[in-house]
Order: sequence, then C-alpha cells, then structure tokens
Amino acid sequence: MAATTVPIPFEVYRFDPAKDKAPRYDRVTLDLAPHTPVLTALLKIRTNTDPSLTLRYSCRSAICGSCAMVINSKSRLACQTQVGAEFAKHGKIVVEPMRNQPVVRDLVVDQQPFWNNYRKIEPHLKLDPTQPMPVGKENPMTPAEVERFKETPRCIACAACYSACPAVEADPAFPGPMALAKLYRFVVDPRDKDTKNRLVRIQPDGLWLCLRCHLCTEACPKDVQPSERIRDLKELAIAAAGTSEAGSRHAVAFKENIGEAGVLNEFKLVRQTYGTMEMLKQVPQGMKIARKKPELIKKPHPIEGVEEVKAIYRALDTESEDR
Amino acid sequence: MRRHDVVVVGAGLAGQRAALAALEAKQDVAIVTKLHPLRSHSGAAQGGINAAIGKEDSVDTHIYDTVKGSDYLGDQDAIEFFCTEAGATVIEAEHFGTIFSRAPDGTLARRPFGGAAFPRTIYAADRTGLALLQGLYEQLGTASPTIYEEWDLTSVVVRDGRCQGIVAFDRRRGTFEEIAAKSVVLATGPAGRVYGRTTNAHTCTGDGIAAAYRAGAALKDMEFVQFHPTALLESSILITEGARGEGGILKNANGERFMVRYAPHVQDLASRDVVSRAIVTEVREGRGFPGSYVHLELMHLGKERIESRLQEICDFCRTFAGVDPVVEPIPIMPAQHYMMGGIGTNLRGETNVPGLFAAGEAACVSIHGANRLGGNSLLETLVFGKQAGIAAAKHAGTAPAPEVQQSDVDAEETRVGVMASRTVGEEPQHLRMAMQATMDLKVGVFRRPEELGEALTEIRALKARYDHVRIVDTSKSYNLNLTDALETGNMLDLAETIVAGAIARTESRGAHSRLDFPKRDDATWMRHTLASKGRDGPVLSYAPVAYTRWEPKERVY
Repeated sequence: MAATTVPIPFEVYRFDPAKDKAPRYDRVTLDLAPHTPVLTALLKIRTNTDPSLTLRYSCRSAICGSCAMVINSKSRLACQTQVGAEFAKHGKIVVEPMRNQPVVRDLVVDQQPFWNNYRKIEPHLKLDPTQPMPVGKENPMTPAEVERFKETPRCIACAACYSACPAVEADPAFPGPMALAKLYRFVVDPRDKDTKNRLVRIQPDGLWLCLRCHLCTEACPKDVQPSERIRDLKELAIAAAGTSEAGSRHAVAFKENIGEAGVLNEFKLVRQTYGTMEMLKQVPQGMKIARKKPELIKKPHPIEGVEEVKAIYRALDTESEDR
Repeated sequence: MRRHDVVVVGAGLAGQRAALAALEAKQDVAIVTKLHPLRSHSGAAQGGINAAIGKEDSVDTHIYDTVKGSDYLGDQDAIEFFCTEAGATVIEAEHFGTIFSRAPDGTLARRPFGGAAFPRTIYAADRTGLALLQGLYEQLGTASPTIYEEWDLTSVVVRDGRCQGIVAFDRRRGTFEEIAAKSVVLATGPAGRVYGRTTNAHTCTGDGIAAAYRAGAALKDMEFVQFHPTALLESSILITEGARGEGGILKNANGERFMVRYAPHVQDLASRDVVSRAIVTEVREGRGFPGSYVHLELMHLGKERIESRLQEICDFCRTFAGVDPVVEPIPIMPAQHYMMGGIGTNLRGETNVPGLFAAGEAACVSIHGANRLGGNSLLETLVFGKQAGIAAAKHAGTAPAPEVQQSDVDAEETRVGVMASRTVGEEPQHLRMAMQATMDLKVGVFRRPEELGEALTEIRALKARYDHVRIVDTSKSYNLNLTDALETGNMLDLAETIVAGAIARTESRGAHSRLDFPKRDDATWMRHTLASKGRDGPVLSYAPVAYTRWEPKERVY
C-alpha cells in the first residue's frame, strides 16, 4: 500500500512576537506520499527537524476544528488538505496562520474575536416560560423539521469562514459567517421560541454587512454553506421584521426595480434604501456621477425582455411559497 | 491565590456535565481544559447513545446486554443505575438543544448496535458526539463558569489526606498556576495515544489519569483496552459501528462474510472485542488482503442511505483514504479505540482520595468491565459526569478551605525547568513514538506472554530515558515542545500500568485476550485490577466485582 513519495517544498510562517521583530518563513522540503495531509507534514517537521514549530491540532479527522490555517492562500483545515494536489497546483505549500485574528505565535491565533461573535448571537435554546419542555419526553420533531437545519449542525467552529471573510476584515461589527450560520440554526429550531426577536435584533447587528461573496461557503470544510444560510436569514428577517434597515430596504428595492423594468433605476434605489432626506444629502455625489456618466441618473427605459423578467419573478414567487 | 469550590479538569461531555451539575448546586465552579470545550474529543464520537426507550426494549435488557458485553467484569449495581438513568439522560440532552435524527413520527430515531438485543442507539447522523457537545456547551454557556482554556493539568495537590487543588500550565502565558479547590473532578479523557494505531485524537494523552496516579489514586482495570474493529487502514480514523448498524458487512480477501463463522447469530454486529479478534485472525491466517487488512462493504445500502445516514464517514473515506464507500469497499483494520480502565471510582465518581472525583473515559466505575458496548460511552459521560458533579458539589459544601502552597507550584517549575535547561537529551516525541511502537506490536488485540514481558522492559527503558528528556523550544508562549514532554511522561506511566495489569491477568476476558490463557477464569479472575503508584512502578492489588442479579455465563453472540 505504500505510495511513492515526492519531495514537496514547504514555506511555514514563523513568528514569536516576544522574540522576533518580524515574521519569517521557514523553508523545508519533505518526501511525502501525495495523499499525506498537510497536518501530518507539519507534525513531521515538529518531530524530525524543529520541535519549536507551534500550531493547534487534535483529532486529525476534520471533526475538532483545531487546525484551521491558511494553506496556499486559502483558509482550511490542515488535516483535510492533501499535499499532492496543492503541490501540483502551486509547486510548493505555503502555510500561514488564519486571518482576521491576531497571531499569538507561529500558526496559533487569538480566537477571542471569533468566540465573542459566536456568544453575541445567544447560541442556546430560548424558551417561552409559559411553554415548558415536555416532562419525561422528547420534543417531537419531524424529519422534515430536521431538514430545515440544512447542514448547520455539521459546523465544527474551526473559524476557516471567519478567516476567509472580507466583511469581517472590513467591519468589526460584522458577526462573521459562523455566528450567522449558528443563528440560522436557532431560528429554524422548532424548540426555540425567540425566533422573531432574533431576526429583529440581527438586522442592526450586522446581518446586512454580508457582501455575498461566498468565500465562507468555499472555505467551509464541513459544507455548512454559511453564505446560503445568511441569504436565508435575510429573507426570514424581512418576512419577520420588515425592512427596518438600509440593507433590507436595499434588497427589496433592488428586487422591485428589476421586476419593474429589468434594469436598475439608481435614483430610485438610493431613495428607497436611504429615504428622501438621506438621498438629498447625496445630491452632490449624484451631480458628480451625472457629469461623468449621465446615463446612470436618467430614468431607464424598461428593457426589451421585461415581460420575461416578470415571468421569472412570478415563477420564483410561486416556488418560494412551496418551500 | 485562585480558589474555587469545584474545579473540573477537562471540558468534554463528562467535564461539562459535571460542571453544570455543580453549578446547579450553587457552587463556584471553574473548568480547566487544554482544548476549547468544543474541540474536545467527545465531539468525535460518531455512532450514538444508548437508551432502552423503544416499546419492544426494556431497561433490564440494556442492563443484561451491558453485563454480558462487559464479560461479567462490570459492576452490576453501577450498570443497573447507569441503564436506569439512560432514558432521562437522553431526553435531557434533547431538551438542552441537541439535534438528534428523528423517526418519521417525530420521535428519536434509533439504530441497531453491536451487542444489543434491540435497536437502542439514538443518534445524530454519524456525528452524535458533536451534536451532544454542541447542545451541552450551549447550556453551559448560560451558566457561565470560569474557564481556564488551553491550560495543561500538571499535578493534583493532595495534602492532609485530601485533594486541595491542582497546578496547571497556562500555555498562552507559559507559566505554572495554582488553583485551590475543595473538590477536583478529573474528566480528562483517555490515554489512547499510548498506541500509535489509535482512533483517538493526538490530545488523548491521559493527563488526568496520570496526575491522579501520581497523587495516590488507584487506577482500575488498565489492561482492558478496546480495539475498534473498523478503523481506516493508514490513518486509523474511526469508521463508526453505525456503519454495520446500518447494514455494512465485513469481507475477507476471498470475498467471504467471515463473521458468520465467529458469531453465527448476529454476525457483523457482534461485540467489538469479538469482531476485532475475528479480523486479526483472518489476516493472520492468510485471508486478509495484501498489506494486511479486510474490507467493510457499504455499497449494497445504496447512495442515498449511505450519504444521509453516514455523511461524515463518506467524507472521511473520500478525503483520508481516497475511497468512495458508495462504489467500493473500505479497507479497514482494528485500532485502539477506548480504555475501559481508568481512575477507579464508585458510581458517585468518588476516588480513593477524598475530594478527588473522576468521570467519563478517564474514570473506571466500572460499567464497561472487560469490553464496552458501542453507544454506552456517550451515555457514561453524561450519567456519571452529572453524578461526579453532584458529589463534588456536596463535598465542597462541607470541606474546609483548601490551600495550594507555593512549593507545589515550585515543584512543577523545577521539574520542567530541568528539562528546559539540558543541552543534550531525549526528544519527547521520539520517546512517544518508541512507546507507541511497543504498545502496537506487543500489547494489542492478542497478547503473548513473552511479548508482554518485552513490552514491560521496553517501557521501563523508555522511562529511564525520559529522565533525560529535553525541551529545546525556548519560547514562553505556546511552547508545544513542553506540552509534548509533559504528555509523554504521563503516557509512559500509564503504558506501564497497562502492561503490568496484562502480564498479571492470566486469563482471557473481553478485550484482554491471552494466547497462553485462552479461557475466562471466573474462580481466580472475576475481580478488578487496582494499580497504585509504588516506588518502582505500579503495585497491583485486586477488588471484587459487584453482583446483583446476573450469574456469569459463557458469552456467545
């Protein structure tokens, strides 16, 4: 069964803030079978050449969430990433600590910001005091209700999504993909009686700061699809709490706009998102745009296939009722 | 000085449940853990949690199956209590928020497991441990205990005949810290990493068991080590018994369903010790595949069932073995999986040291006896975690103020300081690997007296080399090399107790299978092994097994 090994060059981020002025990259080449996990390679470095390399790891089977790091620029689990494919694509394997969390030493980061965001969404069942749990019995839950959780119960809190998220980087107010996927898990739980409040609270608490770039879904080692669940949360939040935020008004206005003409009316979009007063404040900005691209502030004509767009909208509306 | 009523070491299911119970008893509770609670190895448990809640099933049948599974070494009073608590324990977990798999009528779904008369194993797909860990952690979060995270336990402080606290190493700051406590609960999990071929996480190094041993607690039945029949060939990653519960079958290189010969009635769902011995026998007698393994086949279950009920397993096989279980067999071999032995406790989690408690896999109550049934370990963490928490809180209510002295911390600093000051010495990881090679080769599924003797010599030689262990990393923060050294020392002590117990026990019972003594010997050996730390290694003594209603019978599946 022993597969043939190939020499694979590694560049491993090293930094001890207590001793080093700046980070460095240790270069080492290891002979490895292509299916060897990056974690195994790092442990080989610890055992054979440098026991001072430090990282978090435990289960080595993608279930404890300890060994998330940046490998060839992507946030992922070291135990789940095989060296062969990485080497084939990049010619080397560059290992760095996760992003959006300060480096403590080498590949170990301070996860406090990540856990604080998790705490903020109140990650526990909230009950209605007038409806206690059934005594000596489980709460009934049909397989269809279990399906509504989607893949969120698989989350191992590894923070790969948090590391990959540009909204987290741009705005510390954004709770991050994991916390929002966790919130979704409680929102769809039939046992939780705080659904509406959760959806009302999350709108000003950062829900609309998600840029829908899908990098979290791409990074997730357990296929939790945080991006898709954030989308679901946005829909549920509008349904439960209306368009209380600029973000939600923008989403609804965008949809209406396209539905009417098949093309955006920027003028209307800004007014619907921010209201007339706010829009007036943006007049100077609008003038600048008008000078450069006058077509943008003109009321656009409906596009040629607008009837088809409307047909798509009607079809989607029926579908969402089915869901 | 840091001071708490109750300190729980370990934040897996047993530790968290103990902490919750002590918090409910209005005690000041702190948790000390080397991993974030959600990273605990409890989360890796796949198959499920047993409770006889089915209409056709009964608590008595669960008790009987567990007694029989234990090969009559389990304490029957503890097993009766354990099985009686099962239903309420699972319901409580559901109320905590655990997302279980459900039957079409909305009740908790159940699957068949090895050694059980009825489908009794409640599950959450094939990630039941993770589901339970999430639910319990969410509850614990509402109670807000103090958590000392990424701290390594280095010693249990016993003075004036009672436990008074612990000394631990704070990885982040790189300092030894004292925590005084009226009660200490050790829920630090197993020492599976004494073996190289193990399903256990890298962090399962028996830190709490070793600290208890050094502090004077007796370890019980350490020679009983469970080998899980189905671990992936190279990585030893676990393939849940649920895979066979769902209908998976084992085949040898001749394409034969060999379990028919070893367990004619239940075949692939025989008890784990039986299946592991069968696989090793097949391979030894030349019916394994080249490279020494057999196949676990799931293909006949169909893509939809495999991918929904065994989702994580599919991922594991595809990622870690390059095998797609939907279309091809999975190459498997047994690997170390569980320690039936551990810190000896009664069913309240009390050890022989007043104020020191233990629960979960670190403890030995004993309910698993010589062989644990699948689905009983998750249940154990919750049932006895709670009991230990209750007992620890009660003890704290009456115990005098505890004290950890500066000399206790100094002793640990000196011990490690010497390792760090050496300019030549042994690399801890190399000692660890040598120990693992010895245990894999000589203290496995079948045990030969000459090999056990060699193993003891080798482990003792490694202990002598450990006296010259060296820490080369000079950084203070996250000095993993220092953690390696502490863990390796812990495991060498425990490996010695496993081998010593195995040499002394001249019979075959459950997971302990001596080729020179192939029969169970109830007249001599129906008793627990107790290992206490002596000057030159473990001192063994024996204690009776508690009986209630079940007379020993031959164990046939």
